Amino acid sequence: MSWPALRITLRLRLPSTLSAAVGLVAVMAAVGALFPSVGHTIGTLKIPRGVSNLLGGADYGTITGWFRGEIASVYGPLVIGGLAIAGAAATTAGEEEDRILALTLAYPVRRGRLIASRAAAVAGVVLGIAVATWVGMIVGVALGGGGITLVHITAFALQLALFGLATGGLGVALGAGTGRRALAAGVAAGVAIGGWLIYGFAPLVAGLHWLKYASFFYYYAGHDPLTRGVDVGGALVLAASAAVLTALGMFAIGRRDLRG
Amino acid sequence: MAESSLQATGTAPAGSAPPVIATEALSKDYGSGRGLFELTLEVRRGEVFGFLGPNGAGKSTTLRLLLDLIRPTAGAARVLGLDTVADSLKIRRRIGFLPGDLALYPKLTGRTLLDYLAALRGGVKASVRDSLVERFEADVDRPVRELSTGNRQKLGLVQAFMHEPELLILDEPIAGLDPLVQQSFHALLAEVSAEGRTVLLSSHTLSEVERVTHRLAILRRGRLVVVDSLENLRRVAVQRLEIEFAEPLSGDVFRSIPAVTEVTGADRTLTVSFEGSADAVVKAAAAYQVLAIRPHEDDLEEIFLRYYREIS
Repeated sequence: MSWPALRITLRLRLPSTLSAAVGLVAVMAAVGALFPSVGHTIGTLKIPRGVSNLLGGADYGTITGWFRGEIASVYGPLVIGGLAIAGAAATTAGEEEDRILALTLAYPVRRGRLIASRAAAVAGVVLGIAVATWVGMIVGVALGGGGITLVHITAFALQLALFGLATGGLGVALGAGTGRRALAAGVAAGVAIGGWLIYGFAPLVAGLHWLKYASFFYYYAGHDPLTRGVDVGGALVLAASAAVLTALGMFAIGRRDLRG
Repeated sequence: MAESSLQATGTAPAGSAPPVIATEALSKDYGSGRGLFELTLEVRRGEVFGFLGPNGAGKSTTLRLLLDLIRPTAGAARVLGLDTVADSLKIRRRIGFLPGDLALYPKLTGRTLLDYLAALRGGVKASVRDSLVERFEADVDRPVRELSTGNRQKLGLVQAFMHEPELLILDEPIAGLDPLVQQSFHALLAEVSAEGRTVLLSSHTLSEVERVTHRLAILRRGRLVVVDSLENLRRVAVQRLEIEFAEPLSGDVFRSIPAVTEVTGADRTLTVSFEGSADAVVKAAAAYQVLAIRPHEDDLEEIFLRYYREIS
C-alpha cells in the first residue's frame, strides 16, 4: 500500500463522494417522508414475480417493504455500485489512459501496491456512501413513522457496502488488467446489472435458478437484511470476491505493458 | 560518407568507467515494423546524451523500456548497473523522469502535486525543491488545469530534478518553454553534468540537442543509425568551403577532384562540398586569385538529414 497514493486518490474522489452522500441522505429522507401518505395507498403491487423480485417483493404497504423497494433494490446499489465502478475505472485505467500513471510509476512504487492504494480509496468511497445510506435510512425511517430496527438498518448498510466493494473490486481488476477505462466501467456495470436481472429472473426458470449464485446481488439482497439481518455467508462471499478481484488486478498490472 | 568510429553501436571503449545506461540488442516489437530493434547503446556517467529522431523513431519506446513501463520483447538493459526489469524499483529510486506529453492531475495545484510526488518518493529536500520552483518561476498556487503548457512543463521539470537524481531521463524537456526558461534549463543541465550526474535527453528539436549534449544517437524507424559526439559527426561529415575569387570561375575546376561531391554558386563565389582533406580543393583554388575562403560547418540538422537520406 502506498499511503501518499491513497491520500491523493481519496482527496480527488472526495467531492463526488460528498455530493453523492448528501444527495443520498436527502433522497432517503424524502422517501421516508412520503411513506405515510403514499405507501399504504400502493400496498402490494400485483406484478409478475420476476419484476417483483427485482423490486424486493414490491410490497409498499409496510415501511420495510417500502424501503426495500425504493432504496435497497435499485437506488442504493445503483449509487454505490456506480460510484465504486466509476472510481475504480478512473483511478486505474483512467489514469493510465490520461498518461498520469506513466509519471506515477516512474517513482519508486510497485504497480501492485499502487493498485492496492487505488482499491483502498475506492473502498473508502464505498464506506462513505454506506455510512450516508445508514444515516439516510435512519432519518427516512424516522420520518416515515419508524418500523425498522437500527440493527436491521445497520445490516442493510453493511451488505450494501460489501456489494459496493465487490463491484468496485471488479472495476479494479478490469481497469488494472486492461488499462481501458470504458471497457472496465462497461463490463463491470454490465456484470452488476446482469447480476440484478439474474437475481430477479433466474429463480423463475427451471434449471437456471442456480445462476443466482453467480450474482453479487444475490449475496447482497437474497437474505433480505432489512428483515433478517446480516447474512454472514453472503457477506463473506462479497468480501472474498472484493479481495480476490483486487488481488487479480494487482497481479495483472504487474505482468503487462503500460498503455499510452 | 565516412563512418564514425561508433556508428550504429553505442558501446564505450573497453576499460572505461561502467556505463550508467547499457542496452544490449534491446527490442520492443509492436508488429508492422513499429517499435525498437536491437538497440545496443551505452551512456557514460556525467554525460548529457541526446536521443534524436522524428516522431515514431523509437525514442519514447526506449525511455519507457528503461523505466520498466513496458517490457522488452528481446534483449536487455541495465541502468545504474541494475537490470531494468528485475531491479526496476531500485532504479526508479535513483532517477528522475520527465515524460513526453506530460499529464498531471488537473484539479491539484502545483504545490499539492509536488507535495504528493515528493511523498511518493519518500521525501525530498524542501530547499532543493523551492530553489527549482524559483529558478523556473513555476506557478505552484494555481490548479494544473489553469496552467499553460509551458507552466505545466515547469512543474514537470521541478519534479524530475527535485530529489537530485543520479540519472535524469527527459523526454522532450523544452516543449512549451519560453526561451528564457529554456536557457535556465540548459544551465541546469550543465550544472548537473558538472556534478557527475547523467542526463538522457530525447528530443526532435535539433538545436536543443546540438546546444546541450556531449554525445547523441540518431534513431530511425526503431533502429540506431549512429551514435557519436557532435564533433566526430561533424568531422566525418561532408565539409564545405565558400571561396571568393577575383575573377569569375567555372565550377568545373573543382568537379574533377575525386573528393568533391558538389559545387554550387556562380560567378566569383563558389561553394565546394568535399569529403576528407581540404588539400586538393585548396591547391586547385590556389591556381587562381583568391580573395577569401570561408569554411561552412554543417549544423546538426544537415548532419541529421544526411544520415536520413543516406539510409533511405
